[in-house]
Amino acid sequence: MSLAPASDIVGTEKSRGRLLGLLLVAIPVLLVFCMIIYPIISAVVTTLWQADANGKVGFTLKTYQFFFTDGYSLSNLWLTLWITMVGAILLILICLPIALYLRFAKNRLAAYVQGLAIFPLFVPAIILSFAFIRVLGPNGAVDLLLNAAHLPKIRTPYLTPMGPLIGLVWDHIPLTVLILLAGLGSVSDASIEAARDVGAGRLRLLWHIILPRVGNSILVALSFSVLGIFSSFTIPYVLGPAAPEMMGPFMQRTFRDLYDPENAITQAVISFFFCIAFGLFYVRSVVKNQRAR
Amino acid sequence: MAVDSTYRPPREIDWTGIGFAVVLTIVIVFPLIVVGLWAFADVWRYPSVLPQQFGLRFWYQTLSRPDVWESITTSIELSVTVTLISAIVCLPAAFAFARLQFPFRSLLFFSFIAGQAFPKFGLLVAIAGIFLSLNLIGTFWGVVLIQLVGTLLYMIWIPVAAFQGVSPRMEEAARDVGASPLRVFWSITLPQAGPTIGAAVLLTFVNTFYETEGAWLIGAPAVHTMPILMISFINNQPVIQYGAVLSAILWLPSFFALLFARRVISGGSFARGFGA
Repeated sequence: MSLAPASDIVGTEKSRGRLLGLLLVAIPVLLVFCMIIYPIISAVVTTLWQADANGKVGFTLKTYQFFFTDGYSLSNLWLTLWITMVGAILLILICLPIALYLRFAKNRLAAYVQGLAIFPLFVPAIILSFAFIRVLGPNGAVDLLLNAAHLPKIRTPYLTPMGPLIGLVWDHIPLTVLILLAGLGSVSDASIEAARDVGAGRLRLLWHIILPRVGNSILVALSFSVLGIFSSFTIPYVLGPAAPEMMGPFMQRTFRDLYDPENAITQAVISFFFCIAFGLFYVRSVVKNQRAR
Repeated sequence: MAVDSTYRPPREIDWTGIGFAVVLTIVIVFPLIVVGLWAFADVWRYPSVLPQQFGLRFWYQTLSRPDVWESITTSIELSVTVTLISAIVCLPAAFAFARLQFPFRSLLFFSFIAGQAFPKFGLLVAIAGIFLSLNLIGTFWGVVLIQLVGTLLYMIWIPVAAFQGVSPRMEEAARDVGASPLRVFWSITLPQAGPTIGAAVLLTFVNTFYETEGAWLIGAPAVHTMPILMISFINNQPVIQYGAVLSAILWLPSFFALLFARRVISGGSFARGFGA
């Protein structure tokens, strides 16, 4: 969608259109400023400028010092970083082959594979979590099948770091596949045929022709998963271990159960900090895409 | 070299495809079938592979629980309120972005993506910090406000594309023969942009229905939506079937989204909206 000049449509009513336009967009724009931009600035400011013991407000790193010296906070941060990194890489390793297959296969089987890969988009995270426990949890469906085959039970990933990892990867498959598939659309059939004609094998084709053109889409997909996984809440809250916990449940517990908004907001600002590079890259790509259309 | 020296020989068994189809069926469909079995299992004791007895016993029991009905009404009330407000606020704005020229138009249009640069739950906590001083924590309207913010991006960007897709020539022609602007909007613009806007409204409703994080962070302990009841069923309810039946009911809005929005999502434009 390009935001083309509207003057040709508006015609002569320009000055009226200017005021009317601003009035019509005022409420949503105001909502964005009050509910997104202001809270972010306020979060940074209120955690950095606090009252000290004498009630004097000044610059302080108190809550940040606490976070980065507190063993429990740090282990939560490491767990989150670990799950985010492993999850994002796993997603690319799983979804790139699927997207490559879908790009080049045009039969009915491919339509079925695409339908399945997109299906998790229509399964809310909470239903997924329930299904996960019923399948991989203690005495779940996998245990039932193994037991029927006289095999030992699995060591369940439920309530271990593997729980949220598996759940979050499952949950992010559709959009990762869709983003990669859209990127693969820019690889033309002609360039691939040309490479084949001069004798390029499958691997060289992938390495020299396809990957250089989808590099950007891979980065977009990575950024999208990093942002999504880093501060996910429902899946790690239900499937993850109680301690250490991921940043999402940690912030929620600090805010609601410990009534400690100051430290919860500090944790939020730290999450912003760890994701900011991915976030800006992601937003930049979206904006670039919208402008290009 | 002939053009028809294709790299895709006809009628070869698609082993890669079969592999993906089998693995994805096991990973994606199998867990949902297990939930479906639990919902209709009157008796399922370990270590039987299938339920000993099928039936609707737990549907009657689940649907006679007052907390289930309370959560269903709360969820519907919330989603309808948020979707309505979102439509009232966003659709005129989308029309303005598509059709009117005003200062900072491009900047304001792209301001809606600002929230996407930050991890969502962190942003929710930052907003909750502000709500705390406004006494909005634990209130219905606090949850409405936080969910409303989550709908802005798609409720503006998708309809803008819809309005821009309407041919200006037809509108001009109608005005040339004397139709009033309102009449043009009603008879020409709306019918053409309608289906896409309808899809945006449906997606907004469904996404709001499943929104768990804002509702839990802001609404607890007063606001019980279906996803929040589901969390408490998973954590504290020993009768597995209650959760399974609630999952099945909870899945209904997604089922409708699946029916109506699949085409929109499978098309490339949806993925491009995510920056692909």
